[in-house]
Amino acid sequence: MKPFRSSRGGDIVARLEPAEASIVGLLLDQLEQLLAADADDVGDDPVLVRLIPDGHRGDPELAADYRKLTEASLRSGKAEDLATVRATLPDGGGEVRLDSDQAAAWLRSTNDLRLALGTRLDIGEDTEPPEEITGEEDQQLAVYYWLTALQGSLVDALVAGRAARS
Amino acid sequence: MAGPLAPTRTPEQTEEELGDLDRPWVTIVWNDPVNLMTYVTFVLQDLFGYDEPTATALMLQVHHEGKAIVSSGPRERMEHDTSRLHAYGLWASFQRDT
Repeated sequence: MKPFRSSRGGDIVARLEPAEASIVGLLLDQLEQLLAADADDVGDDPVLVRLIPDGHRGDPELAADYRKLTEASLRSGKAEDLATVRATLPDGGGEVRLDSDQAAAWLRSTNDLRLALGTRLDIGEDTEPPEEITGEEDQQLAVYYWLTALQGSLVDALVAGRAARS
Repeated sequence: MAGPLAPTRTPEQTEEELGDLDRPWVTIVWNDPVNLMTYVTFVLQDLFGYDEPTATALMLQVHHEGKAIVSSGPRERMEHDTSRLHAYGLWASFQRDT
């Protein structure tokens, strides 16, 4: 991976290895399936609870009102972001070049992917990257930290781009 | 001394109700171990127009104290702010200010 940076023309640019692009594609598929699943089937799924959380803590009625008001648009926003990332993800690896709207979609989607993985892996404040990969969970942890680096570089590039414009 | 024209509510009740109306609702961001500190600062600037030092101070408050109030006002607006934060994956909720 060549991390995201702000290009002179204003675009945000990164470069992904073929394996990296295919991992992002797989994770997008999984997230899309989860978001599209029947709410009754996945109501207690901790990842969905984290991605579409209660708006009010402690008052079920207010929380239900909020959900009725916002859940559909939250889900469709996430689906649109996923579609944007998919459309700008180079098949087989290569350059990712984003305008500001596309960069915002990548920012939110990579965060959702990290939230999903982080929730599944029960990431805590003091979780460390794996020193060596000995099993499935180490692999997923390594992917999580790779996504963290990717998203971190995207945030830094957007902050740098904003500073350059002001 | 209450005659027929005396108010049916006691002054205490009235004050309490007025206070209740005045007490605004707030939007809270809660700490979570996944969201990057730089990301939280960036989102707070982007959504609420905070300058960098203010957004950083709020982010640090979330990080160290577990939560921070990021906006206040009428309930409808706090619901809207909460949903904008949820769209960015921040762990947010709204409630009446305590």
